[in-house]
Amino acid sequence: MRGRWSAAGLVVVLAAIAAAASLGLVAVRGHQQPASRPQQVQQIASGLHCPICKDLSVADSPAPLAQQMRQQIDQQLAAGRSPDEIRAGFVAAYGDSVLMSPPRHGIGRTAYYLPLIVVLGGALVVVLLLRRWRRPSAVDESEPDGRAPLTSAQRQALRRAVERLREEEA
Amino acid sequence: MRRRLLLLGTVVVAVLAVVAVLATGLGRDPSATASPLVGRAAPDFTLGGINGPPVTLSRLRGQVVVMNFWASWCTECHDEQDALDQTWQRYRDSGLVLLGVDFEDTGDGAKDYMHQSGLTYPVVEDKDSTTALAYGIRGIPETFLIDRSGRIVDRIIGRVDADRLAGAVEPLLKGGSE
Repeated sequence: MRGRWSAAGLVVVLAAIAAAASLGLVAVRGHQQPASRPQQVQQIASGLHCPICKDLSVADSPAPLAQQMRQQIDQQLAAGRSPDEIRAGFVAAYGDSVLMSPPRHGIGRTAYYLPLIVVLGGALVVVLLLRRWRRPSAVDESEPDGRAPLTSAQRQALRRAVERLREEEA
Repeated sequence: MRRRLLLLGTVVVAVLAVVAVLATGLGRDPSATASPLVGRAAPDFTLGGINGPPVTLSRLRGQVVVMNFWASWCTECHDEQDALDQTWQRYRDSGLVLLGVDFEDTGDGAKDYMHQSGLTYPVVEDKDSTTALAYGIRGIPETFLIDRSGRIVDRIIGRVDADRLAGAVEPLLKGGSE
């Protein structure tokens, strides 16, 4: 039983570590600045949906509009605009749907926190189930040798039979 | 028993909620999303004219502008040509400017098409797609309606028809917005 309890604790700890590591990685990678302008263009373009494609980023799409977007990103970087400002410009024209990842505000935040909530919720359910299995039943009616427990009628019949035997002996 | 039913109900509701969210999101055409520009000031631009002088949008303030993004290779754009011409001819003396914005075209494609089709309203060329990107264009044709104060009041995705355009333009010409 103690082994089960330790396993539950281990699951919770591992889940918490995995969640924290994922969030940390996203936070660190999200703010990393590439060294060169082409890399910056690539990074910004890979975070934007090609507006006329189904599921391609601006970085991956060969469409002329995507090429124009990459060119515009490059020009804006050359003009001293920050990646966030450039992204904001595209969002102003196309809306949040132009972003490959959901925005970190409004309902978009759900996408970042929901996995953590689900992992923690799952861990909680596991812990509760393990606690429930570990708790002994209020009335343990099982027989020590594994046979099926007696019903109340059988108990009464047994009690009467014992009383009859005692009366006969007396 | 009641607790189990409650748990089952909660799980069913949660699953249905996820399915509903996915069905709503997956069933939606991303190109049909509302433009965040509607209700805001139309991004200004100056573009060279193909059949006339350069056009600066802010200089058209005080007039209703119907701005149509198109290209000569776009067959749906050809289909709406008559409706646009009709609108231009009908309202050009009432304070309406119909402006074609040629976008992602090739060589003399636009000029050739305009010559063949007898297109009469002013057309400008968005050579580097800067204006198309500023207007969040996802495909052509797309048409923007801009009121007298320079505010975008509507975006029409796909082919327009004369009746719909008239219904949208007339209130703007009378001074109101849609």
